[in-house]
Amino acid sequence: MTTLLASIPRAMNAPELSWLGVVILLPLAASVVCALCGALKCRTKLPAFVTIVALGASFALVLKAYFEYTGPVEVPIFEWINFHWGSGGKFQSFVADCALYIDSLTLFWMLFVTGLGTVITIYASEYMEADTGAGYSRFFFGISIFLFSMSALVMGDNLVMLYLGWEGVGLASYLLVGYDYHRPSAVAAAKKAFIVNRIGDLGLALGIFMLWTNYGTVRYDELFAAMNAGGRSEIDWDISVIPFLLMLGAFGKSAQFPLFVWLPDAMEGPTPVSALIHAATMVTAGVYLIARMFPFFELHQDALATVAWIGTGTALLAATIGMMQYDIKRVFAYSTISQLGYMFMGLGVGTTFGACYHTFTHAFFKALLFLTAGAVMHGFAGQLDLRKISGLRHIPGWRLVSWTMFVGCLWLAAVPFTAAFYSKDAILLTALSSDRWDFVLLGWVGLFTAALTAYYTFRVWFRVCAGPVKYEMGSDGGHDSHAAGDPHAHAAHPHAPRWCIKGVLLFLTIGAIASGIPSYRQVLTHAPNWVQEMIALSSAADGAGLPHDGGSASVPMLGETGGPHHATVLGMDAHTGLAIVGSCASIGGILVAFYFHLRSRRSADSLAAWLRSRRLVGWIPDAMEHKWYVDEIYHGMFRMPMWIGAQILSLGDKHFLDGAIVDGIGRLPIVVGKLFRPLYSGVLQGYAVTMAGGVGLILAWVMWVWMRGFN
Amino acid sequence: MQLIWLSILTPLLAVVAIVFAPERNARWIALAGTLASLGLLTFIAWQFPEWTTGRYSPSTDAMAWIAGAGLGLTVGFDTVGLLMALLTAFLMPLCIIGSFSSVTIRVKEYYGWFLVLGASIILAFAARDAILFYIGYEFTLVPMTIVIAVYGGTERRIAAIKMFLYTFLGSMFMLAAILYVGWEHRLSTGAWNFDIDALTATSVRLPSSTQYWIFAALMIGFAVKVPLFPLHTWLPLAHDQAPTAGSVILAASMLKLGTYGNYRFALPMAPAGGVELMSVVAILSIIAIIYASLICWVQTDAKKLIAYSSVAHLGLCMLGLFALNPVGAEGAIFYMVNHGLSTGALFLCIGMFYERYHTKDTEVLGGLAKRMPVWACFMVFFTLASVGLPGLNGFVGEFLCVGGTFLAEHDSQSGYPGVLGPWYAIVAALGLIFAAMYLLILLGKIVWGPLREPQRIEGHHDLAAVPIADLNLREVITLAPIAIACLWIGFQPKPMLDAIAPCAERMLVNYPAQVERFMRLEPPAVAAGATAGDKLGAEESR
Repeated sequence: MTTLLASIPRAMNAPELSWLGVVILLPLAASVVCALCGALKCRTKLPAFVTIVALGASFALVLKAYFEYTGPVEVPIFEWINFHWGSGGKFQSFVADCALYIDSLTLFWMLFVTGLGTVITIYASEYMEADTGAGYSRFFFGISIFLFSMSALVMGDNLVMLYLGWEGVGLASYLLVGYDYHRPSAVAAAKKAFIVNRIGDLGLALGIFMLWTNYGTVRYDELFAAMNAGGRSEIDWDISVIPFLLMLGAFGKSAQFPLFVWLPDAMEGPTPVSALIHAATMVTAGVYLIARMFPFFELHQDALATVAWIGTGTALLAATIGMMQYDIKRVFAYSTISQLGYMFMGLGVGTTFGACYHTFTHAFFKALLFLTAGAVMHGFAGQLDLRKISGLRHIPGWRLVSWTMFVGCLWLAAVPFTAAFYSKDAILLTALSSDRWDFVLLGWVGLFTAALTAYYTFRVWFRVCAGPVKYEMGSDGGHDSHAAGDPHAHAAHPHAPRWCIKGVLLFLTIGAIASGIPSYRQVLTHAPNWVQEMIALSSAADGAGLPHDGGSASVPMLGETGGPHHATVLGMDAHTGLAIVGSCASIGGILVAFYFHLRSRRSADSLAAWLRSRRLVGWIPDAMEHKWYVDEIYHGMFRMPMWIGAQILSLGDKHFLDGAIVDGIGRLPIVVGKLFRPLYSGVLQGYAVTMAGGVGLILAWVMWVWMRGFN
Repeated sequence: MQLIWLSILTPLLAVVAIVFAPERNARWIALAGTLASLGLLTFIAWQFPEWTTGRYSPSTDAMAWIAGAGLGLTVGFDTVGLLMALLTAFLMPLCIIGSFSSVTIRVKEYYGWFLVLGASIILAFAARDAILFYIGYEFTLVPMTIVIAVYGGTERRIAAIKMFLYTFLGSMFMLAAILYVGWEHRLSTGAWNFDIDALTATSVRLPSSTQYWIFAALMIGFAVKVPLFPLHTWLPLAHDQAPTAGSVILAASMLKLGTYGNYRFALPMAPAGGVELMSVVAILSIIAIIYASLICWVQTDAKKLIAYSSVAHLGLCMLGLFALNPVGAEGAIFYMVNHGLSTGALFLCIGMFYERYHTKDTEVLGGLAKRMPVWACFMVFFTLASVGLPGLNGFVGEFLCVGGTFLAEHDSQSGYPGVLGPWYAIVAALGLIFAAMYLLILLGKIVWGPLREPQRIEGHHDLAAVPIADLNLREVITLAPIAIACLWIGFQPKPMLDAIAPCAERMLVNYPAQVERFMRLEPPAVAAGATAGDKLGAEESR
């Protein structure tokens, strides 16, 4: 972590580029149109059309910006939270304007966010068609709001803009997960997603304040300038805590341990939402945050190591859970958590390039996988249990879905020569060739997890797409409400997808294959990796593995292997060794899956039964199926005690604070009155006695004062 | 000044008209009166000369009232007062429109008292004379008590009396403090004068032990109104029992009289007392945030839930104010306006379904999105505003309040040292998580989920034959302006922030020096909590 590179270039102020603001504005405008459509009860596919056009135009604008890009720029749009006091100097103002910070990392992210956003929206226009006139506008309103927030998150020029997008994508996720609002499970999942994310947001907000307290600004450009000027030398309690606070935010949004519990539940949302928000784009916001603020993660020596440990731990944990799930979407959800774990591991061991490249490839193949699962759901009336569908590729009309899913599975399993193989390789290579023993250990855990990944991925494919043809239709809408009104929903036969869905699946397959092109070029022609170049020019340059000035092809291909000792894996050159071990892991996992889930499905059940019958390990399969009881533990540790406490406080407020104290004081005059009531009984003797008593008391007091001597 | 008086008197003129007009016209006269008042205030705001200076306008020519006692009818706004008055005037007509269907008995009296309520709140925000302020401040209690006691729910009498006595008792302390400072003023200058600026000038020169008691007395009065834990118990009951429009004005404007009082009286008048009690107030605010949030979590009555959420939100507002730096003060004042908008709107939303179902129990009622989609949209929108979603109005204030608390460290580089700091901010920010929790749980119960309706609805013939209808145009007109305001402020907070900043700075003018003095009296390790040791080392090495 000591390899500090040269300074991050200062951004140029470029008001003439304000047309870039349109990238953010277009989805917002689309959301307004969708809201109007909803209000006017539009019965056509207009909302989808408007959203697709807006997102497509955004993508085109991002492309234009990419081709015209020369160096980091800041584009002011309008003043947002902006005020000053005193002289208005450095620590005397709070400036968080609506402005854009465009560098290559921004463009890299925006390219796949808007691109995939457009494509998945096209898919959704067919997928959601049964809801036309009902929830259709609401759905595309949510999608537009999501793209608006995500663009603001990525393109914003300061951390408060990022926070705006950060909460905005949370809102979109809330609205879309709870899209099917008459199902209590969807409502609960939406709520959980928002609240768990809020816990992470707390860290982010505090991190922002901490940055302001120490640097007097929340704008990236000024923060990086402060870093260049030696901001990291001043190691102090509150500076070194900054990375940990930001990290908490990233863990919440990107579903890492201990805040990962919301993502599997979020699969209650319609499948295009799972593909776009909970696989390809929103959940990578945490990776973006850390990559963007990478210099600040070197403020504490253990910050990046923590990221690496948490990432690897999450990858392993999620993979073990994914092995035992029966719902196709849930398997993919856990695989998303697991792959995100790899990205954090990459960031942690110091390769922002590996992390970002994996984000990029993952976005394509995971979106593809989810969309194939969605196609199955759409056709089989919500059936998602992988035990109840088999031999999909033999059913007429489903061949394309099966084979695109096959490609997605190959990529997820990181089979050699796929894009994901190279991106995962970049991460693991850096880990294994690190000087630190714990990173090497994490690298091996990562390799083991890769084998598990290959196993559970192909467990799905062999179960669903291969084998004898056998299927049960879903009971009703099951996961997607729209099927309830669908004329095919209760039909005994699945209906195959049409061309919007098929076209998008084909396109994403090509995209998944194409996402490997930078690596193929690098391997074949030794041209620098495109992603690596993009990262090397941004604030995440420290971990890009290229010299800061953009670099030439002569640099070693991956990682920071140029150190004094030459890293080895199993006695071989690190690069070759890793490629061999990695290939073995993924192919081995696939073979195991092949045996248990295609060749002899019965043996899988008997193995599970045997495992369950052992006393020592019998609990493990159950625990894995129930996600290691994490939800239950959280419930018992946090929710339950807090709820009991809240009940006690509520009763205490009503009966003690208000009932006893306040009303008690209020009753005081009455009580005092009652005390003296016998004295005023109307009997003359009584008054005489009272008077005598009073006079006696006064006399006693006077006597007492006199005896004490008047002081 | 005449214009300001006119904007206060117009609603009162409308009251006179209502008295003599037939009952069916009462609502329209009331609406006209409030609209006229809003129009006048908008006009005042339009040509307000001191938007970015923090000064008062009109600045001079005190109108003597009881000259011998130094009482004047002086009114004038600074930007904070003007914003609060605008908020009140903005919500008044909406409340009137919202009451069209809900008030069926004693209609003339209702609108009459409601207008009096509005006028007295605006008077309190406009007053530049302390006694005039006190008159407006106290007089709000009379119409509010009547509105609750006559038009409220089943326990309306108890609620009204409790509210009246509780806040009245509190403001006795406040009046005593004001009179005492007035007397001191007479001692030093030889004449009675209750002009707030004059009182402030006198008060800040008093010895700090005296200021301590002045601050404490003022604080008790305002803390009841805010309401600050543990003086809050009148509020949930009052909100629960008040008619919808009463709740709206109670939450949006009357509670703000408490925080406004802190801004205008307690903090500037007794800075030496303020620094000694700031950690006490801050700790009470933090307790209020957590305590009220947890209670919200287990509430089953929608209206009580929002009432307790007001306690939590205003706790955050007070915390921002007592961070004693410009960020926190700016956030707190900003939040005063925006809490009024979003919570007021939430009360309106709840009133709308209460009017239909005659229940606000979330156990009985649920899934109304299916029955009332338009209402559900508004409800979700205002809940999100209340949760503090960025891009809506609530966020800016909340963010700056927590931020200000965070920055209030003793070695803060902002030029405003404080005794709070990160630990206070972390606990306060927990309140933001809780806010998301209880408000989304509320949404999950009454908006989302399968439709649940009560078996029988009082005064409704057959639920199956005539289902409950969605919002009508009148109700949409009630809610839409608030929604637009929420969005607009969320995306364009800059003008309001610019308007508040100089006022916040003026409020804090004596504080940096006072905090420095206070800090030297006490060893910093105690004052700044756990982090002080490290920070001290860092400071020395610098």
